[in-house]
Amino acid sequence: MAPSGKPHSQTKRMQKKSSGSSARPTTVKLDGPSSSVPLHPKRLNPLTAFSNLTQPTLSPESSTSNLAPKSQKGKGKAKQRKNDSPVDNIDDSLWIDKYEPTTEGELAVHVKKVEDVRRWLSEAFDGGHAGKLQKYRRILAMTGPAGTGKTSTIRVLAREMGFEIMEWRNGTGETIPTPFVEPGPSSQRSGPDFDSGYEGLFTKFEAFMTRATTCHDIFSASSSTSKSTAKKRVILLEDLPNILHQKTQTQFHEALQSLVTSPPSNPPVPVIIIISDAGVRGEATDERRAEGGGWGNNQAQAMDIRTVLPKTLLGGPYVTEIQFNPIAPTLLKKALQAMLNTHFLSSFAISSIAPSKEVLDVIVESAHGDIRSAIMALQFACVMELPGPNKKKNQARSALILEAVTRREQSLALFHLLGKVMYNKRKDDPPNPSASAKDLQKERAIDALLKDATQLPPHLRHHDRRASRVDVDALYADSPIDSSLFSLYIHQNYTQFCNEIEETEGVADWLSWVDSSGGDAWYLANPHQFHLLTLGTLHSLPSPVPRRSQKYFKPEFFSFLQKEKDAWDSVRTTRDWITENEVKETGGFGWRVGGWSNNDVVLELSSILKASDAESRRHQPSQSQQQTFQPPPIHRLFSRMDLTRAMGNGIRAQQLNESDIGLDHEFESLVDGDRHLHNTSSQSNTKEGEDKGGWLESDDIEDF
Amino acid sequence: MSLWVDQYRPRTLDSLHYHQGLSDRLKSLAASGDFPHMLFYGPSGAGKKTRISCTLRQLFGPGVEKLKIDQRVFLSPSKRKLEINIVQSNYHLEITPSEAGNYDRVVIQELLKEIAQTQQVDLSAKQRFKVVVINEADSLSRDAQAALRRTMEKYMSNMRIILCANSTSRLIAPIKSRCLLMRVAAPSVDEMNTVMQFVAKRAGFDLPPDAADKIVEDSGGNLRKAILVLEALKMQSPDLTGPLSIAKPDWEVYCHKVADLIVSEQSPARVMEVRAKFYELLSHCIPPTIILKTVAERVVERVDEALKADIIHWAALYEVRMRNGNKKIYHLEAWVVKVMSLYKQFFYNIDMSEFD
Repeated sequence: MAPSGKPHSQTKRMQKKSSGSSARPTTVKLDGPSSSVPLHPKRLNPLTAFSNLTQPTLSPESSTSNLAPKSQKGKGKAKQRKNDSPVDNIDDSLWIDKYEPTTEGELAVHVKKVEDVRRWLSEAFDGGHAGKLQKYRRILAMTGPAGTGKTSTIRVLAREMGFEIMEWRNGTGETIPTPFVEPGPSSQRSGPDFDSGYEGLFTKFEAFMTRATTCHDIFSASSSTSKSTAKKRVILLEDLPNILHQKTQTQFHEALQSLVTSPPSNPPVPVIIIISDAGVRGEATDERRAEGGGWGNNQAQAMDIRTVLPKTLLGGPYVTEIQFNPIAPTLLKKALQAMLNTHFLSSFAISSIAPSKEVLDVIVESAHGDIRSAIMALQFACVMELPGPNKKKNQARSALILEAVTRREQSLALFHLLGKVMYNKRKDDPPNPSASAKDLQKERAIDALLKDATQLPPHLRHHDRRASRVDVDALYADSPIDSSLFSLYIHQNYTQFCNEIEETEGVADWLSWVDSSGGDAWYLANPHQFHLLTLGTLHSLPSPVPRRSQKYFKPEFFSFLQKEKDAWDSVRTTRDWITENEVKETGGFGWRVGGWSNNDVVLELSSILKASDAESRRHQPSQSQQQTFQPPPIHRLFSRMDLTRAMGNGIRAQQLNESDIGLDHEFESLVDGDRHLHNTSSQSNTKEGEDKGGWLESDDIEDF
Repeated sequence: MSLWVDQYRPRTLDSLHYHQGLSDRLKSLAASGDFPHMLFYGPSGAGKKTRISCTLRQLFGPGVEKLKIDQRVFLSPSKRKLEINIVQSNYHLEITPSEAGNYDRVVIQELLKEIAQTQQVDLSAKQRFKVVVINEADSLSRDAQAALRRTMEKYMSNMRIILCANSTSRLIAPIKSRCLLMRVAAPSVDEMNTVMQFVAKRAGFDLPPDAADKIVEDSGGNLRKAILVLEALKMQSPDLTGPLSIAKPDWEVYCHKVADLIVSEQSPARVMEVRAKFYELLSHCIPPTIILKTVAERVVERVDEALKADIIHWAALYEVRMRNGNKKIYHLEAWVVKVMSLYKQFFYNIDMSEFD
């Protein structure tokens, strides 16, 4: 946790402490400025230890509060019980571990998703209705952003349906993976075994896979669990081998392939792969830069389902993918509230006060559907106390601090990033008709902060723009993608936001300029690309931009790049064919083998290739034609371009939707939220309106 | 059966059909025993490579035609493997370093050093040196050219370099000054006609002069293209009489179509259409500079005189950017948008003045 928000809160806390200093815990004394006693190796709670360290610096303040303990007496009494508790009593386990959901009811995942997973599992174990589905329920890929309850769902279902989870872990020293649920004595045995020689991590993985699928647990009979349930097992792959390494990836793919092609073992052991969508940050641009001749290895560096699973499997019947969406705010809030209730009912809770509703709201909002980060933030909020005379003010402040502390790096989804840039909002824009009052107020607040630019001299008058509402620095900090990829997204989408060709001119020119600035190597790259691009785009786009419910598309660039790569392969094949012919003709040695360059082949050979194609088509039935000229048919990849196939044949720009980056299925979550609101109306009835206001319509998504 | 272009290609300096003066000079150079580094340049299809191989034969005899293809693996500084095809005989070696993309410097350095440090072991060889032919020298990076320059001086004793390029403008001055420059101009119409008739005769058919004229006219001085077209036509209609329709290659038709799109409408939606076409061209391996050139030439044909200079100016500007940048499509599109905007403004202004 970033310490930025702490000193302030801790100061307050210490003031409080000193006001009731009679029961000061011993650890505080030890750390005090006058302490001559050496620190004994007592385990320090990181959170409280931190507060002690700050104490010396705030002596003047604390002395004043010492002098005036009475003014805070009322509050002090309320907090009395907290001061009584020694610091050591604070449980230092993380809430995400402590309050892990155990039943489906506690799970914040959408009911339908859980149902999907459960159905899949039951089909995998029992074969579904017809009892024949086992064959096709071999691999389940659970994908989704981090903190959407993928693992928890499996664990909860394991408990509910009574199966055991065998999890693979990339241990560095361990040789045998430990069972997931109970790290029993079996894991103890598995220390590094130096006698047996080194076994590669992947060999271990393969061994684990075969053992886990085929072998039965010999202890199951002796263990307390009944035989029938012990038989059900799944393999959980969350900690994957290093599949970004090309060779390991191939091996991994082969392992999976052989797994699905082999008949299911009895009892079936389905494989569950959990893939958290990592952001696309850190795209390996210098690999792509090396495109000059040999395209380099163009594989995506980010882990996603396509790198984890081989292409053949992905399209095949054996793999099911269940996508988890970010957790809807309503569900999230409900889960957090439930957690708080259990927490403050338990005995550990005496040391802190429950965070207010506002704090909870801030947490929910800043979590962006990541329940793990939300719980972390919540725990932090409970540790941090901000007592003071003005309750309202304190809460506001705590909310502010929380906001600063819990802000996640990738908080701005790509969708919204694009929206912010493309909608090009400027000061005094006419408000969006569908905007709520809250949004309008927000806009006004932003406008009030913006300074009008001074007017430019006449010869630059055409560059005059109203002050922009977009904070480029903030965008840069929050951008989930690097500037090269960002430019591709802009390039794909900018034309929709222009009415006239003159308006596109600026953006196109900036794109071109930014791309050509800087050098080839990464260290020569222009460090200001993002700013240049964003500012350039904002400057060039019309203001206000036309609104006709534009859709964002993913860049087509990569699919065409792939196509080009294939075509280059075909060029090479064709060239090799020419030389081969040549060698054959001249009897062993060709004197013109180097004669054809790739460009010659591409630009000049196509006429003859086309002619020979037409020829062979005409002569197909009668094989009479002297068997002469048969270029490899693959040449059509570069030689043939059909005008009739019109625009972007084969390759279609995929629409960018929100699930790619952040929020998903607003509608679903809204409906969903409503249902839960009815259930828990006592606590959250009042929030309903706000929830709806806060959750966006697709139209004003860029405000987010 | 190999292509006619390869099959009927002259193999000796004597059998070359045109640029007789050049052939004589090459012959005497080969005989002099003081063979310099050389740079052959000229438009494509003019006969540079043919002349190079003829010169090599003159230098080393027919043994130089015994070629084999090696695939060599080089390691880039970032440990990436680069596979390069190398064509070699006992006396010479031919590489196309542009296949290595940005890492051409590594290839050049490694390879030349290796060649230069090995002496010619064949005692019966006519020359003491080996020749390295570097194709597409104008697409060598600056780094590679600089590396080449040092090597050329250092290993002069047992190695000669023959560079082959379309134009000298992209070669650095030190390299140009170290080479004997040989300009291979495109053949004239008559010369091309002679060659066409020669090919037809060797292939065993009569080429009607009309057809030859038409092919030559279409080829724009590119002899290789002309012979390829001839072969394609022959394949389609064996008698070569009647009205010939020389089909342009698909990519060229496509480029012209793009130009028409640009001229006929100027709007953001049209930009998207043009972009799709560009993507299609790029994904068919058509070099972006060629795309820009072809489209620009076609657009220039179709617009008003006053706009032509501007259009070419911007094409030049964006071509430079394209060389520096990574994503070719940006620059192509930026040019298109620029042209569209110019074109539109031009017409807008005309209308206004008429009203006045």
